[in-house]
Amino acid sequence: MKMSVNRFTLCAGIAAVMLLGAQSSVANSPTIRLFPTTVVEDLRQTGNVARDMETGLQEVIGRLDQQQELYQESKCDGADNDSGCQRLARQIGATYLEMLTIMEERLPDMEHTVNNTRDSLEKGLRNELGKKMTPWKLQETLIGGKAAQATAQKAPTLRGRSGMRLSERFNQYYKLVATSGAKGDQSLAVLASDIYLDMEETSLLIQRTRQEIARATLMEQLNQSFGIITPEMIEVVGGVKSILFGDEETQALVAGPPPGSIEQAYRSPLEQ
Amino acid sequence: MNFPNNQKPLLVLAALLLMSSLLAACASTTPVCGSPQSRNLSSAIDGVQTSLMNGCHAHFDRYYDDLLSIAEGDPKPENKREFSEFLVWSSDKGLLSTRQAEDYYNRFFNVKFMSMRGDYNNCSHTCPNKKKVLFDMERELGDKERGLLKVSRDADGYYRADQLYQEVELVLEATCSACAAGR
Repeated sequence: MKMSVNRFTLCAGIAAVMLLGAQSSVANSPTIRLFPTTVVEDLRQTGNVARDMETGLQEVIGRLDQQQELYQESKCDGADNDSGCQRLARQIGATYLEMLTIMEERLPDMEHTVNNTRDSLEKGLRNELGKKMTPWKLQETLIGGKAAQATAQKAPTLRGRSGMRLSERFNQYYKLVATSGAKGDQSLAVLASDIYLDMEETSLLIQRTRQEIARATLMEQLNQSFGIITPEMIEVVGGVKSILFGDEETQALVAGPPPGSIEQAYRSPLEQ
Repeated sequence: MNFPNNQKPLLVLAALLLMSSLLAACASTTPVCGSPQSRNLSSAIDGVQTSLMNGCHAHFDRYYDDLLSIAEGDPKPENKREFSEFLVWSSDKGLLSTRQAEDYYNRFFNVKFMSMRGDYNNCSHTCPNKKKVLFDMERELGDKERGLLKVSRDADGYYRADQLYQEVELVLEATCSACAAGR
């Protein structure tokens, strides 16, 4: 009995030492800090701003769709001198101006949060992947120390980002980043790069849109007096719809690798 | 030593004959560095090893390519080991440096890319040469397709290398853009 108690104590001691060792090795393993809490918060904020803009625009865009439908059903295309059609065109123009005004009001907030996220990620990428890593170390990070097993992992990214609502996109980013603790560094590096490039693109797009809004508003104010629907107007509305609410047809499907053999246990002494 | 004048042409002739026979002797020892004849990888490696030891070491690149072609005819995971052992032997015999042997092996049989190496950080080393690095990696991916997929039948390994290439492309685009913004 005494012996079994001693054995238990010994086993417990060994287990405790092993556990401590494992914990300290986890604690000592270098991790890359690409998503500080500020980035997570910025992403959440951007998602909220995008949702507010969508909510504000949804009703206006719905109204625009109805008005355009009515215009086409009334065979107003080409009937510029018809007073009824002119009235319809003016209504469409007024709704279009309303859409531009909402966007003008909301875009600065959106731009601010997108730029904040981009700047935080930029700093992280530059320091953690750009300045602290050699090219070889970057490869090792991306491969996650699994080169020997060579297991093809499911990509954690949101590549091919079109086809979903803007707020949903940010919501997905937020969820991915907020639960990134469970993922390896390799996923984080790819995820951070993907989001950063997307933010950079979005920021540029917002900047251009803001410049265009001023011009389009002036043009439409002039058109109001004539009651004309320009092709540009229809194009802009279509573009805003696809950015904000997504376009299912453009959703890209990424093919997975074919199943390969798993008989590659050999590791050469020359392998690096 | 004085020779009579009438014997001088004979001496010149004798000297010429001696030189030509010496040259002929040298020519006869030039090794024949033909390609391996066997379609069996192990036998082909034996043949190549004999040729390399008999003065054909300048043809190492061609022999390595010949061996890869032979292995493509009978792809199997064990081929990796055959190539590794052949390269270790080449290094032991002083035909290749350890670094060269590693390059030959990893370029064809490892998931990681030898063309993406360097002692300096990515901002200062990789980003200024990003285009060249990616171009070299693309070429190396072709070699990995041969080594991993066609020679070793390691489809998972090859697709992981392909995925790594795509990830490096994306991460470098973002990182280099971030490095440039910080300047």
